[in-house]
Formats: sequence, structure tokens, C-alpha cells
Amino acid sequence: MGTWFGRSTWVFHLNSGSCNGCDIEVLNMFAPTQDVERLGVKLVGSPLHADVIVFTGPVTFQALPYVIEALKAIPNPKAVVACGSCACGGGIWHDSYNVVGGINALYEILDTLGIPRPPTVYVPGCPPKPEAMMYGVLLARGMVGQRQRREVYVEEVKEVEAPQGVREVVAKAARAFRGW
Amino acid sequence: MRRASGSEALGRVVETLKRLGAESVTVTQEGVVLSTVTKDRLRDFVRALIREYGESLRHSTCVGADLRPVRGSFSVTHVLALDCLRLYLLVETEAFGNSPKVPSLTPLLPAANWAEREARDLLGIEFEGHPEPVKLILPDPWPEGVFPLRKDYPYNKKLYETPAQVRGVRGEPRFFSAKPTPPSESVREGCALIPVGPYHPALHEPEYYELYVEGERIVEARYRGFFVHRGIEKLAESRMTINQVPFLAERICGICGYTHACAYCQAVEAAARIEVPERALYIRSILLEIERIHSHLLWFGVAFHLLGFDTGFMVMWRIREDVMRVAEALTGNRKTYGMNLVGGVRRDIDEGKASLVLRMLESVEGEFRRFCDSVLSMREVVERVKEVGVLTREDARRLGAVGPHARASGLGIDVRVDHPYAAYRFVDVSVAVRDSCDVLARILVRYDEVIESIRLIRELLKNMPKGELMAEYSDLPPLRIGLGATEAPRGEDVHLVITGRGNKLYRWRPRAPSYVNLATVPTMLEGERLANAPIIIASIDPCFSCTDHVVVVDLRTGVRRRMNLLRNALTRG
Amino acid sequence: MVEGLGKHVVTEAYPWAPLEVPEGFRGKPVIDPEKCVGCGSCVNACPPNALTLSDDGRHRVVKLFLGRCIFCGRCEEVCPFNAIKLTKEFELAASSTEDLVQEVRLVMAKCAVCGRPYATLREVRKVAESLPKNLRGLAYVCPDCRERISSYFVGFARR
Repeated sequence: MGTWFGRSTWVFHLNSGSCNGCDIEVLNMFAPTQDVERLGVKLVGSPLHADVIVFTGPVTFQALPYVIEALKAIPNPKAVVACGSCACGGGIWHDSYNVVGGINALYEILDTLGIPRPPTVYVPGCPPKPEAMMYGVLLARGMVGQRQRREVYVEEVKEVEAPQGVREVVAKAARAFRGW
Repeated sequence: MRRASGSEALGRVVETLKRLGAESVTVTQEGVVLSTVTKDRLRDFVRALIREYGESLRHSTCVGADLRPVRGSFSVTHVLALDCLRLYLLVETEAFGNSPKVPSLTPLLPAANWAEREARDLLGIEFEGHPEPVKLILPDPWPEGVFPLRKDYPYNKKLYETPAQVRGVRGEPRFFSAKPTPPSESVREGCALIPVGPYHPALHEPEYYELYVEGERIVEARYRGFFVHRGIEKLAESRMTINQVPFLAERICGICGYTHACAYCQAVEAAARIEVPERALYIRSILLEIERIHSHLLWFGVAFHLLGFDTGFMVMWRIREDVMRVAEALTGNRKTYGMNLVGGVRRDIDEGKASLVLRMLESVEGEFRRFCDSVLSMREVVERVKEVGVLTREDARRLGAVGPHARASGLGIDVRVDHPYAAYRFVDVSVAVRDSCDVLARILVRYDEVIESIRLIRELLKNMPKGELMAEYSDLPPLRIGLGATEAPRGEDVHLVITGRGNKLYRWRPRAPSYVNLATVPTMLEGERLANAPIIIASIDPCFSCTDHVVVVDLRTGVRRRMNLLRNALTRG
Repeated sequence: MVEGLGKHVVTEAYPWAPLEVPEGFRGKPVIDPEKCVGCGSCVNACPPNALTLSDDGRHRVVKLFLGRCIFCGRCEEVCPFNAIKLTKEFELAASSTEDLVQEVRLVMAKCAVCGRPYATLREVRKVAESLPKNLRGLAYVCPDCRERISSYFVGFARR
């Protein structure tokens, strides 16, 4: 997705009912220490001006219609950086009654409305460090490579049976109580 | 600022409560008195209390609970603060049946307004005589007659269970028919409506204001919040065990989360009579003060930004970065410290970390003082905030303002002094009070508080005793009531807990400070110029994720006199 | 005014240079698949249910979904075998939620009597090690059968 944005990315911060932790860290990216503006990233006040949405929060039902409106307002091509565990997968709220449960659940709703899913980068963290968010924005721009990969470990075992000796004792007991 | 206290005063209060007609009076924990009243007598009882204690009685919150599975009734507990006697009075009343009714206290204590409506939304308790019995918290499309906090509502039953359900008739999603409630009829002809939000450059959280203006001047403000209602209480009461909830409590708010975690733990510790080791109390206090510094510096930055002084924003956030780094070194994360469990804390502050903190304090104090002193001597900043957004002492008291906001209106209330918790009982806290009641006063109060917090951390670090970090305790006793109160950076934060079986909570109700402070915003906006609205709203340091709830506030009711005064002040200025 | 601003450079070099995070930083939790026995302590403690446990007949699957993790570190605290640790890794951004998953699939032991898979083999072996030699066989029996066996023996002794 990187090539669309050239060297400068304008981001719009969309809070869908987050706790403020991520939102403050998003602002922190623009503060002097992290200063993401030196990388051409600029925070804008309207979705109409933006290339990228920095998305926070687990999407509450009250915010849902407004969130959809804002997502629709951003001109294509666009990308979404889902910041924080709430946005990535609903976080600690994932199964609560008033929460849609993260951006993927939101996308399922977008599907039924016929709105295409924008390409998305997920930044887990609670809240992620500003640097972690910066990394996410740069990943969306294609300036850095992805480090986090799915890891699956499958245990290989040859001997699943109970050890010798054990089996006889157990079998005896088993025989005995089957006879009851 | 130490005030009279002790068992004698407590005895007198218990006597008074009995005399005024409480059915039973029990001291549930240090500084908390629970009285039960029948619902027919509730209003008379509270009226008598107001007569007895006058303006020192403050309505803090109201907690409804569905006790049908254990007692066959609903209960409503009003939390009243008697700051001068260092007491919290809990007034409990019961209502039976599936559509319970209790008399409303809002006509007597206006601060009860939101809390009662919240109980109405979430539990279906009807408050008789409530002046505006309309929906507050739940989303607009929420069905009538469904109450998520009742015990028969499953916590994970979503409003819409499949994405397709969101789509209503004729292909139009049902959600988009959800409009903010229509404007009240009092809006005058010829007023222009300026909608602000829910997504707006001046706001960093979703909330929705409708400002009605005549020319430049605001005549009415309406607020629809509660975009951030995430069902915290229900999650805690159903899915989680007591030691998982501190992490949930911390996520009520990403800025002042630790204070919520502390208040929650204190409430459970009080209910279960757990003695927390002293060292853990000190560590909690130190972190609370670190959080206060970071939160206040953040606020200074945002306030300067809204004043059009972006240099101030940048400098404040640079100074704040040191605080964040120290928090990261102490707790493992810049925010959501995750330090608390019921009974103590998880990590120690050793020598090395202590010196890190001291070094940070040194640099923050120097830079903060130097910068703010020079800013506060700049006329262009001072003129911009002087006599703007006035909240008089009387209004602050009537609406139940707390924290720096109340202290800037001349009310000397501070939970750290009035209801000492954690390690604040071992140190003297000096309370910053200003009485010019405007935005400037709020800036100055927070300035003093940052300096005081720095002093407090130094003292706490010096006096910190050696010892354990965690108390030993067995299973939680069921159905005990516990109250925890802390002074969050934004004001009094009250958590009420009823314990359940199997190390779970039966009921947990956090009440964040912005919840009461937000109710003062319309009063401050009345008659102000539109350009001042952002800084006035921000001057209470609102935290909508803490508060998350719909309210329509009519500025025309009440306080019309001051409008003229203000107009005069502004034309003079 | 000018003195208040400070003059030194505070902007850090990241992302052009790696970022140092302090000791004890709560970053990405990693399960050590060699040490994990699939006992589920972490799953019980996890506040956001980021860690889940499921059985698919042959394997017990311990799944960690970072997209829900709140990085509280409770799992690390409660793990009896120190199998899960919070690392200093914070660059976790990924372009798919699939990449935010760590799975550990552990072989289930089958009950020597009824043949039902009831616990991971590793857990069973740990339990067996802790039992005296003559009772060790009981570890290889599922809890239900174990109860029936022991009640049989108790009944036998009474007779």
C-alpha cells in the first residue's frame, strides 16, 4: 500500500470509543520527542484531507454510524492503522454488550453495506508506545518491513501410551470395575 | 487544613442519622456510614440531612443494584459526601417488583441528575419526580425495556448480533436513522445552530455538542456524550474475577487510569477488611502523584494549544515525556501502569528507580516552573483566560463540581485531605484553592498542584518504609459493601463495590470526576463568545471515556443574571 | 520566554536507530513452547481472554492473540513453569490479524482406561513425576476413571 502516499502521509485520528490511552499516545507521536512530522506524517482535522486513518477504540454502538460516515468520507486510496488492542481485536471489551468488537467486526458490517475494506495495519499494545504506532504508520507506507509473524508450534511425540507396568495395574483395575 | 474528626464526631453523626429516621445505621468501614431508609421516607430523610448539614453535604453519586437473586429487590444507594467531617454517608433504599420505583433526589440535590438517569437506563429503576427522565447512557437504537445491568441480561449479548442485523429496512442501515435528540423548544427563533462533533478538530474524543448562537454569543449548549459506553460494569460483574478487574478499571481512562485501579482496590479491600502493607500504600501514592503530574502537564499542553499557543503545547509535552519515561521504567508501561492487585502492588520501587524518579522531578520542576512562570507573565495569555468561563462558588457547590475545577471556584475540597487514603494519611497535603472562578484560576490551581505533587513524591520517597508489597488474604466474603475514593487529577473518583461469591463482584460502580464536572459546562458557556467555547470546555479537563454518557442541557434554565454581568465584563475587557 | 524553551535536541533517532526500552518493559508476551504444559493457569488469569485454550481431539491448543492482549503480564506471574514471558519487543505492527497469533499445540494424553483425551501428555508426566512410584499409574487415568478406580479399591479394602 505504501506507494500511494509518496513521501508524505496525512492522518486523521478516529476515536471509536477508546479509553484515551491510545489517543494521547497518537498525539504523543506529534510531540517533540517522537516528532513524526519529520517523516512527513501530518495530523489533519478532517477525514476529507486524510490518506490514513489512525483508528482507536473497540467501536461502541453509539459511535458506529459516525465511524462509518468518517470512513466513507476519506477519499480512496486510503489505509487504516488500527492502534491498540481494542481496535485490533476488541481488547478487554471484545464481548461486551455495547461494543462491536474491534475493526474486523466493523469491516464485517461494512461488507454488508457494500463498502470495500481499506488495507489495514494492526498495531497491538495497550496502549502501544508512540514508537510502535510510528512503526505501524511506516509499515502502512511500506518504509519498514513487518517483523511480527504468526507462530505455530506443534508438539511431536512418539510415545502417547502410558509407560510399561503402569498399564498392567490400570488394566487390572479397569477389568475389575468393568465387572461390577 | 486538618479538621475535627474521630470517634466522637462519628458517634454524633450516627445519633443524628438515627434521629432523622434511618431504619438502621452501620459503620461499614473507616469513614463510611451506611443508613437504610424505606423509600417513602427517603426524601424526608435527605431533606432533613440537608437541613442538618447545610452546604457541606455534597451528592457524590447514586448506585442502583439488582439484588433480586439474593434479596428479591432492587437497591438504590446514594453516596453523600460530608467533607468537613471526613465521612461518606451511604443512604440505601429498596424497591420491589420488576418495575421498581423510588423517589428522585434530583429536585433536592441537582447533582443526582445523571446518576439517577444512569440507573434508570441500565437497571430500569424509575425515579419518581425526576425533572428529565430521558435516556442518558445507552446508544440511540437501544430497545425500550431492556436493561443490561439486570442480572438476567447476559453480558455478552450484543445490541446487534450479526452484521446483517445492522441493516434495517430498504437497505438503509438502521443506525443512520439514529439522530441526536431533537433540540428543545426553548431555542429561540433566529439562533444559528453550530454542531460540534462527534468528530471535530478541537475534540480528541467522540462527543457531540450543539451550540446555539446569536451572533458570536452562545445562548444554549446541548451535549450528547456517552459515545464511549463500553459496558465496563457488566463485564466486571460477570466475566471477571476480583484480580482481573483492576486491569479493567485502569482502562476506564487511559490518562488517569491508575487512580481508578486504586479506588477499585480500596473498595474491595475495605469490603473484605484486607490490610494493605504500608510500603504498598506508599508506592500507590507515588504513582498516583506521577500520574497527576503527567495528566496536568498534558492538560496544560492541550489548553495552550486551544489558546492558539502551540509552542506551549510542544514544550509541555516535551517536559511530560520525562514523566512518561519514568512511569515506563517503574511500571513497564507508559500508561495503564498495571501495578495494582487487590491487597497491594506488583512491583517495588527500589533504590535505583527511586533515584530515577528524583532525577526526573528535578528536571521537570525546573523546566515547568521556568516555562509556566514566563507564560503566566505574558499578557496575551492571561487576558485570554481571565474572567472567561466563570463558575461561581454557589454554582460549583450546587452542581457538585469536584477537583481542581471546584478548587478554582473557591471550594477547598480534596479527597487526599478530606478522606485520606493510600499514604496520604502519613503526609500533609496542601490544597491549592483560588477564588477568581475563571479559566485563569483553573490554570493556577493546576500549576500549584504540579509543584505540590513534586514535593509530595519527594517526601513519600524519603519516608517509604521497608516491607511487604502484598497482603495475604483468603476468599472474599460475599455481599459486603465497600467504598473507595481517590483524588484523580480531575477530582473525586468514587468506586462502590458489592462483593459476590466465588471471588467475583456482585456490583461495581465507578464514578469518574468528569461525570459531575461536565454538568457545569453549560453554565460556564452561557453568554460566552463562541471562540472561547473550546478552552472553556477543556478547562474542566473533561475525560469523556471516564464519563461516557446523552444529556441535553438547557442554558436558559436558572442562571440568567450572570449573563449580563459577564457581558459587561467582556465589553469592558 | 526564550530561556523557558530550552535549546537542546530532544527528538529521538527512532526509526533510523533502534530504541532502548527500560528493564521490566511489558512488551510482547512469548510462550516458550518447550516449557508450556498447557495447564491453563494463564488462561484463567488473562483479563481480556487473549489467551485461550481449546482441544481438537489430538492436540490441546494454547492460543495467544496479541490483538486482544493488554500486556498486563498476569500470565507471566501465574505461570507455574515460567513458560510465558513478556519481552522487550514492541514493534508488533502487522498487516493481518493472523500474524498476531501464537499457537502452541500440545499432544493430549489418552486415558488408559476409557481412552478419552483428558490432559496434555506433558502435564500428565509432570504429575506422574510428583507421585510416589506405586501410584504413578494413576496419573495416566482421567479424573473420572481415577475416581471410579479409587472408590473400587476403597470398597475392596472395606470388604
